[in-house]
Amino acid sequence: MTIIYLGILAAVLALVLWALVTSKKPSFQATAAMVIVPLLLRLLLIK
Amino acid sequence: MSQEFFIFVVMVGVFAAGTFALKWPVAVSMLLASVAGALAGGFGVPIRHLVEGTFGYVDTILTIATAMIFMNAFKDSGGLEALSAATIRRFHKIPGLLLVLLTFVVMFPGMITGSSSASVLTAGAVVAPMFAALGIPGVEAAALIAMAGILGMIAPPVNIPAMIIGGGIDMPYVGFEIPLLLLTVPLAVFSAFYFGYRFVKKTDISAVVRTLDTKTLDQYGGFRLFSPVLIVLILMVLDKALPKIFNLGMPLIFVLSTIPAYFTGKRFNILNSAKTAIEQALPVLGILVGVGMFIQIMTLTGVRGFIVVNALSVPPALLYLAIAISIPLFGAVSSFGASSVLGVPFLLALLGRDQIITAASLSLIAALGDFMPPTALSAIFAAQVVGLDGYGKTLKKLVIPSLILIVWALVFIIFSKQIRTLY
Repeated sequence: MTIIYLGILAAVLALVLWALVTSKKPSFQATAAMVIVPLLLRLLLIK
Repeated sequence: MSQEFFIFVVMVGVFAAGTFALKWPVAVSMLLASVAGALAGGFGVPIRHLVEGTFGYVDTILTIATAMIFMNAFKDSGGLEALSAATIRRFHKIPGLLLVLLTFVVMFPGMITGSSSASVLTAGAVVAPMFAALGIPGVEAAALIAMAGILGMIAPPVNIPAMIIGGGIDMPYVGFEIPLLLLTVPLAVFSAFYFGYRFVKKTDISAVVRTLDTKTLDQYGGFRLFSPVLIVLILMVLDKALPKIFNLGMPLIFVLSTIPAYFTGKRFNILNSAKTAIEQALPVLGILVGVGMFIQIMTLTGVRGFIVVNALSVPPALLYLAIAISIPLFGAVSSFGASSVLGVPFLLALLGRDQIITAASLSLIAALGDFMPPTALSAIFAAQVVGLDGYGKTLKKLVIPSLILIVWALVFIIFSKQIRTLY
């Protein structure tokens, strides 16, 4: 179940990254960057 | 002035300056307010605490993200549009009931995702043209969609503010379904009549039905189009009824239900649909990250304890007034933040009441935060989907229903024990 959870997490993280790089609004990019931090750390099982 | 109060003023001041004066995103303003609070408290820039705070709502973020992906896929498959069309076609001879059912359609995504924005941006966007066709003016339609959004957010099965408040006193999110239905359904019926009935009764709905686009509904059939929603509901029930066998969790349930949505209706690009969903959800996800940091720094600096102590020492006569005013006001930061920072201490101050009904009622009041500027997510998005320039007029229309909502929630708190005996 952990692998499935991490798979969903990776997919959401990839979508947020995609939204970040395709957006031209700095405010949107800043929000996306904030969301990426916990998702990435959780994916790497750091926290 | 105590140091904690000073830090709190600094945090709120920086947040307000960031969002009101500088027009920064709410999430970024929260991050900076958290840094300012830590600096004022003599903790420097505590990166570890800021990152720790972002983890407060990771599971909620995942649930909202996957739920938005599901709702967007359901919408792109034509399911949501067909659901509204089927409702109008079936109930057009009873305008009052039709209006109520369309309000429930708007509420539905919020019930599934726990986010008012999800309701407004998906079902609200689909139902808005139908409200216009039924003769409801833009401002009233936006107000009804905004109200349905927050009621959907509070209605079961997923109510994040109630989960946050319950989590604060180690109370599991169990047994909330009936109280939440009792709290939200009558308000939804009232809102539908309050905002729309006087317009709908003057409209020739038969003419609306004749011009209704039912192509998708006729082509694929209701059962096939709505089957992804049925799968969500079945998996949710199985998850609760047989937790030892299923135990899927909300994110996996939404992922499993998104896949069939690709085959049940109109074909769409599933990747683009998912990306759009994430783009729509991102402001809310960012707020959750920001709220996590904000609360972590409030806890670190003692501000949270200061608020709890003050909430507990409010005289009983003023307690309800404090609940009615402070929780919606704190919603300017976030309704989730209000649930965490104020909902928990107020629940502790009301330990003599039925805890489930009280927590459910506090979550309803906290949801009003989504009408509170500058965030005002529900009202802003509702005005956008209806096509209004600003959201000021929408907010004015929401004042009286919001006051009624607060009174309704307080009645539930005061008579919680008596209400508990009814079911």
